[in-house]
Amino acid sequence: MTDAPAIEITRLVKRFGDAVALDGIDLAVPQGSVFGFLGPNGAGKTTALRILTGLARPTSGEARILGQNASAAGSAVRAQIGYLPDVPGFYSWMNALELVEYAGRIFGIERRALRERAESLLEMAGLTGVRQKVGGFSRGMKQRLGIAQALINAPSVLLLDEPTSALDPIGRRDVLEMIASLRGRTTVFFSTHILADVERVCDTVAILDRGRVVANAPIDDLKRRATADRLVLELDGDPAMLISEIEKRPWVNAIERSGEQITLAVTDLRSAQHELPAVIAAAGLGLKRLEGAEKSLEDMFVELVERTEQ
Amino acid sequence: MSGFSTFLAKEFTEIRKTWRIWVIPGMLLFFAITSPIIADITPALMASISKSQPGMKVQMPPATWRDSYAQFLKSLSQMVLIAVVITGAGAVSGERSSGTAVLTLTKPVSRGSFVLAKIVSQAGLLIGATVVSTAVCALLTIMIFGQSPLTPLLASVSIWTIDAVLLIVVMTLFSAGFASRGASAGAGLGFFFLTLIISIWPPANRYSFVGLTSVSGKALMQQPTAAFWPVATAVVAALLCAWGAVRVFEKQEL
Repeated sequence: MTDAPAIEITRLVKRFGDAVALDGIDLAVPQGSVFGFLGPNGAGKTTALRILTGLARPTSGEARILGQNASAAGSAVRAQIGYLPDVPGFYSWMNALELVEYAGRIFGIERRALRERAESLLEMAGLTGVRQKVGGFSRGMKQRLGIAQALINAPSVLLLDEPTSALDPIGRRDVLEMIASLRGRTTVFFSTHILADVERVCDTVAILDRGRVVANAPIDDLKRRATADRLVLELDGDPAMLISEIEKRPWVNAIERSGEQITLAVTDLRSAQHELPAVIAAAGLGLKRLEGAEKSLEDMFVELVERTEQ
Repeated sequence: MSGFSTFLAKEFTEIRKTWRIWVIPGMLLFFAITSPIIADITPALMASISKSQPGMKVQMPPATWRDSYAQFLKSLSQMVLIAVVITGAGAVSGERSSGTAVLTLTKPVSRGSFVLAKIVSQAGLLIGATVVSTAVCALLTIMIFGQSPLTPLLASVSIWTIDAVLLIVVMTLFSAGFASRGASAGAGLGFFFLTLIISIWPPANRYSFVGLTSVSGKALMQQPTAAFWPVATAVVAALLCAWGAVRVFEKQEL
């Protein structure tokens, strides 16, 4: 593996008439990573994936996959990619095994190896022994079949568009475990609006809103960044008096109270840490706890999306 | 071509396993069986109608093998070609709207292979069904009329097949170009009836593919006819339409 990103998106713009689906996004997805592409519905996630798979063309900018321009990528690049669309379409007259084998034949996999691989992928997808035609599958079954067919060529890059959206909790857990197991061997780029999925398996996350990347960082960095401007105080006594005192300080951005606990959003963490103990003591209260508050990814997501809306 | 053989194999399997095996082959076989029978009973039918209508007198010569073939060819030129339009309308647009085109085209199958495999599979089905139904028609004709010369039948059906294959390619172009099956079917029917109207104009009939129907009819009647221009322009038009279908589909976003 080289150090070059598996996926590189540069100033990518996609317009549909007057509507801007992607507004100059930049991304780099390291090889072997599990990359979460997070955003609310309509943020532009599917459009970006369609451009990466060559199904759509950018208005301007460039999307490169495995070093090649995605719009001009030929069969050699597509042979190294697995793709699951958000609503997978299958030939309704095929059964699951026929469909996965059809996908494998396109990649030129030899017949015997193909049968073994198809059966093992169907087992992973929980579809072993299902003989009914795909036309009669539920949405969840189709999604699991979609994941199986996307993996038939042991892809270098796996592109998944909302892979868990139609799954029950057990199916979702299985798919996330499968994604996590690919770490290091396959670059997984998956779009979702389910924050818990991203927190569970992703190394890096980009948050997309209204066609713009509003955050892009390793998930631990993102969480660390989120704790940097928040403090939690747990007090021994009623904090009402203290709140009015703290509000006067120039480094305070926002205050939330919950019983004896106060959460502060601060602009200058150092000043806050220095001054708070004295202010608390002056108010006649005891300090039980003073620490950085960890924001969940959900808090960050909502905050970032709301910020762009404003 | 990337993925052509695999996708073509899928197309033939799909034909075998779905309704597609019944429509064109079913129609061709139906007309192959009924044409000799209809030709045989038509004089008797007309005589009985004229008897029930006072003052009306219809005189028809006894039916021959040529009437059987003419009936078959008439059915091919009308009903079967319309069926080709209807079934061909969804060739590409159906895969696009159902999402199966995305399944295939995100793998190592080029859009050119996709479109060309569609044309080859449909043409293969049509040619195979035409061969079988022509043989059935010839067999029934000899059983009913005592003779069944193959040369005029083969000549006229071959010319018709060129016309039908051209229509398959035109329908693939429309199916690639229009978003919905209905729109491409509408355009196909428009094309079909427009060629019928244009064929009334003698120069067009003589020097372009719109004259294929009359060339086919003349071949059946064993009349002298110049097939070169209609056949040559049909081949050129089919190649251009196939190229156009590939280019149109390559430019589309899915």
